Amino acid sequence: MAFFRITLHRSSIGMPERTRGVLHALGLRRRAQTVFHPVSRQTAGMIMKVKELVRVEEVDCSLSKNQVKAERTPDAGFYLERKVQRMEG
Amino acid sequence: MFGPFRITNPLSGGLLWKIPWRLSKFQKRRHRERMRAVDGVIATVDAALAKQGETLEALERWKREMPTEAEMLPRDKYTVFDRKAKRYRKGIHKVPKWTRVTQRVNPPGY
Repeated sequence: MAFFRITLHRSSIGMPERTRGVLHALGLRRRAQTVFHPVSRQTAGMIMKVKELVRVEEVDCSLSKNQVKAERTPDAGFYLERKVQRMEG
Repeated sequence: MFGPFRITNPLSGGLLWKIPWRLSKFQKRRHRERMRAVDGVIATVDAALAKQGETLEALERWKREMPTEAEMLPRDKYTVFDRKAKRYRKGIHKVPKWTRVTQRVNPPGY
C-alpha cells in the first residue's frame, strides 16, 4: 500500500481558516512535522489545498512517530560494549 | 546618528515602508525554487494517483490551466497584474503572503 509522506515545511500563520483547517485535518500541527496518509483521492485533494506549505513524497510503508525521529537523529558517536556496575556512595 | 533609533524617514513618520519596487536576484531565485517545489508536489501527487488509476478534478484543472515554472515568462513570474499600477503591473512581492500563495496566471492582454 502506498502512502503520502507529508511534511509541513511552511508555517500556516496568517493563512485563511480553510487552509489551517486542512492542515489540522491532515494532522499537521507544527512545522517539520511528518505524517503519513494512504494514497487516495481524498488525501490528494487535501494536499492540493496546502501544496505551497508542504513537501510530499510517495513511500511504500507508513512509519511511526518514533521511526521518523530515529531517521533524523544523528549517530551517537559511541556504543556501549558492556555496562559497568556503578559504585555506591 | 547611528544605531537602532536613528532618525530616518521610515522610522519618524508613520507608514513609510521601504519595499523596493523590484525583487533582488536572490529573491527571484528563491521564488523560482518555491514554484518548482509546488510543481514537484503536483507531480508527486499526480504520479501516485495515476499508479492507482485514479485522477482528481482539482489536479486535472491545475495541469490544464497552470503553467509550470519552466513554461512561465519572467514577466509573469516576477510581476502580477494590478489595475491601479502604472502599466498595470506590480512586483509579485507586493502580494500579501506572496511566498505562500500561488499567483501564476494574469488577465490575457496584460
